[in-house]
Amino acid sequence: MLSVVDLVVEYGHATALDGVSLDIQPGEMVALVGPNGAGKSTLVNTLSGVLRPSAGSVRLDGRIAQVPEGRQLFPDLSVADNLRLGAWGSRRGRLASGRSRRDPSRVYDVLPELSSISAQLAGTLSGGQQQMVAVGRALMADPDLLAVDELSLGLAPIVVATLARHLQQLNAEHGTAVLLIEQNARLAFDLCERGYVLENGRITAQGPCAELAESPQVARAYLGGLVPGEEQA
Amino acid sequence: MGSFVSYLVSGLAFGCSFALLGSGFVAIHRVTRVVNFAQGTFAVVAGLAAGSLLGDGLPHGLAEVVAILVAGVVGLAIGVVAVGKRGTPTLASLVITLGLGILAYAVEIMIWGDQPSSYPMVRGSVHVAGATVQKQYFVVIGAAIVVFLALGLFFAKTYLGKALSACASNPYAARLVGIDPVRMGILAFALGGLLGGLAGVLVTPLQPVSFDSDVALATNGFAAAIFGGLNKPSAALVGGLVLGVVEAMVAGYVNASYQTEVALALMLAVMIWQARKRTSLTEEVA
Amino acid sequence: MWLGSLVGLVTLLAPLVLSRSNLTVYILLGTAAMATIGVSLLMGYAGQVSLGQAAFYAIGSYTAALIALHGGSTVLGLVCAPVVAGLLAAVVGVPILRLRGHYLAFATLAFHLILLAVVGQVAFFGGDIGLQGIPPLGIAGHQLVASRSYAWLTWAGVALCLLVTRNIIASRPGRAMRALSTSEIAAESSGVPVTRYKLTVFALSAGFAGLAGGVYAFFLGYIAPGSFPVLLSFQFVVMAVVGGLGTIWGPVLGAGVITILVQVLNDLGTRPGMPTHAAAVFSYAVYALLLVLVLLFLPRGLLPATADLIGRFRRGDSAAGPPGGVPGRGHDVPPRSRAPAPDH
Repeated sequence: MLSVVDLVVEYGHATALDGVSLDIQPGEMVALVGPNGAGKSTLVNTLSGVLRPSAGSVRLDGRIAQVPEGRQLFPDLSVADNLRLGAWGSRRGRLASGRSRRDPSRVYDVLPELSSISAQLAGTLSGGQQQMVAVGRALMADPDLLAVDELSLGLAPIVVATLARHLQQLNAEHGTAVLLIEQNARLAFDLCERGYVLENGRITAQGPCAELAESPQVARAYLGGLVPGEEQA
Repeated sequence: MGSFVSYLVSGLAFGCSFALLGSGFVAIHRVTRVVNFAQGTFAVVAGLAAGSLLGDGLPHGLAEVVAILVAGVVGLAIGVVAVGKRGTPTLASLVITLGLGILAYAVEIMIWGDQPSSYPMVRGSVHVAGATVQKQYFVVIGAAIVVFLALGLFFAKTYLGKALSACASNPYAARLVGIDPVRMGILAFALGGLLGGLAGVLVTPLQPVSFDSDVALATNGFAAAIFGGLNKPSAALVGGLVLGVVEAMVAGYVNASYQTEVALALMLAVMIWQARKRTSLTEEVA
Repeated sequence: MWLGSLVGLVTLLAPLVLSRSNLTVYILLGTAAMATIGVSLLMGYAGQVSLGQAAFYAIGSYTAALIALHGGSTVLGLVCAPVVAGLLAAVVGVPILRLRGHYLAFATLAFHLILLAVVGQVAFFGGDIGLQGIPPLGIAGHQLVASRSYAWLTWAGVALCLLVTRNIIASRPGRAMRALSTSEIAAESSGVPVTRYKLTVFALSAGFAGLAGGVYAFFLGYIAPGSFPVLLSFQFVVMAVVGGLGTIWGPVLGAGVITILVQVLNDLGTRPGMPTHAAAVFSYAVYALLLVLVLLFLPRGLLPATADLIGRFRRGDSAAGPPGGVPGRGHDVPPRSRAPAPDH
């Protein structure tokens, strides 16, 4: 449903993405891992149309919504209003009437924790709650592909586990494809079937997550420096 | 007592017009981070337009509404030039609005000449607590109350109002959910135009306007708006009322010619006091 | 270098050939250039917008006129004009320069309006009627009466302002100031005494305007609050932006282009058969359109844009000063697309 071919993105004279190709099938969960500054966020921003590529193509059948790095909520607005605004981009071209499309209660089915805090200002929430609002806001756009940028950043493992469970459930029950962009490669490989490794704006490895996790090169760079089986050596 | 009441009412009425202009500044600044120096222009255009439409025989009510809409269109046009080009720095946008304010001088003189003009809206006066007060003052106060309530509802309840608030709250996130900040910025300018236009239509019967009345109107409106750091319409209302009453009292009890100095000194004091509170980091954004 | 000498020579010889009315324009152009050099220094090198430059122009005028009218020597008046303007700016600047961006713009505008109101109400300053009968400037027992002498005096003043500006920008503090216009925080964290530098530039910029005001008072012999409208302050900003902020010669070019254009349109507008307000309409429209078009399409100003054009034909030659621009330009990524800092 998403196919990216030879994508090049430049900031001024700096090249952030240099010939990146990847594809995602409907209903798939795909991991994109890489170190800080590899170009992961640039890639998501290009996919969701915030940035323009200088070369290459992005073909998308369906709707993409982004859970941006650092949550990026509207801190002065309530949780419910944050969610409602998630439907802004899909105002036109949909049959559902405006009001029901903007009704945040459909997100509460997937993320029930949100319904109890719907009246609170987003800026007053904990990091985990904010991340959940960010996911909920993206879901309001009825995406066929959800691009989640650094889900785990700055969150306690138990909170991350809850969020991960919600994503898996969403993927299983609604068939929403998920692109998980992570510095925490272990988490991404655990959740997804297939993955890509991005370094310095290029894809340097790809394949099933189980294989990537075993690959010595990836393990050395992202999984704490030790290759499985070498632990005892 | 009688004179106190009449000073108070006139102060509140002028304060309401400052508040309307100030909320225009706020509406534009929240979304675009631009201070619109042409804010006084909206009031002048609407005041002059209403005068000439009434002179052409349009009935009251219709003439005023059309004049306010004209100011809204002027706001839209200024917004297109000032923030319509993506990546225009805010300081450049600010100087552009200054330039467009001057351009408006040329257009206003061509259409309406350079003489001050006024028109009656509601004639007569009423007796309140021993004072004779023009009815027009109450019209101004009443209209301002209605508009501020409507403005509050607009931002709190409507989807568009929330989208505008979202741009103010986090412009990057607004873009992510598909809100176009440039379009919203232009819309905010149109809203600022309507608010400024309303102020102009209401205040012209009390105080004739000419093409260059905009500087005084804009500085008073800005003074009202900075009470809330340019971000809260409700604070602009409070600021406008305080400013209007202080000016009226100074004019009534001290000397009418000190009115401007007092208002400007008050504005400087508030700004400097606010700057002391703020950390240098958030100022850099402005 | 030869270009500078040529410009200097033409400037020196021009008073000999200009007609009387053109000479007046030439002098007013020079005084406007002085004040604009100050605005350009403040905007281009300290990143601050002032909408009150004409207030310091007025302060210079009033200082010179009052000293001369109360029996002081006219030379003393001319010397005191920039000094008083600069000192007052330093005093006012302490609270006002805490403000930034549009706050500072409005504060300087408020200062200008307050000054006009005060001057208009105090009898010592001549009230709204102003001060009349200001004697002409007398240097070493010789009275300057001819417009031609004032033309040379004015352009000597312009040369002085340019020289001071050039030395300032080339100095170490000058380079530190340059950093001010892009980011005050960056400048501050690298140990630049930001407040002191801003105050110095503000005072210096006011001093330039004060000097221009002094010359103006002696040349016209009559001043009033009405001689220094808010529009004059705006006009200096327009000239600075149009010429090119942060360049040395930009303000002179800006003042020249605008003064001459307004003059030409004024002549056109007052021809018989033209509508009554044509002249006013033309001049407002010219300020406005030039300002807006330059900001949108040549944000660095006319001078750098022209220099680029010339440079394209003749590689390696740069007649322009250091690269300038509206404060805030020069980021590759517009601030809006950056992750925002929620501002409270």
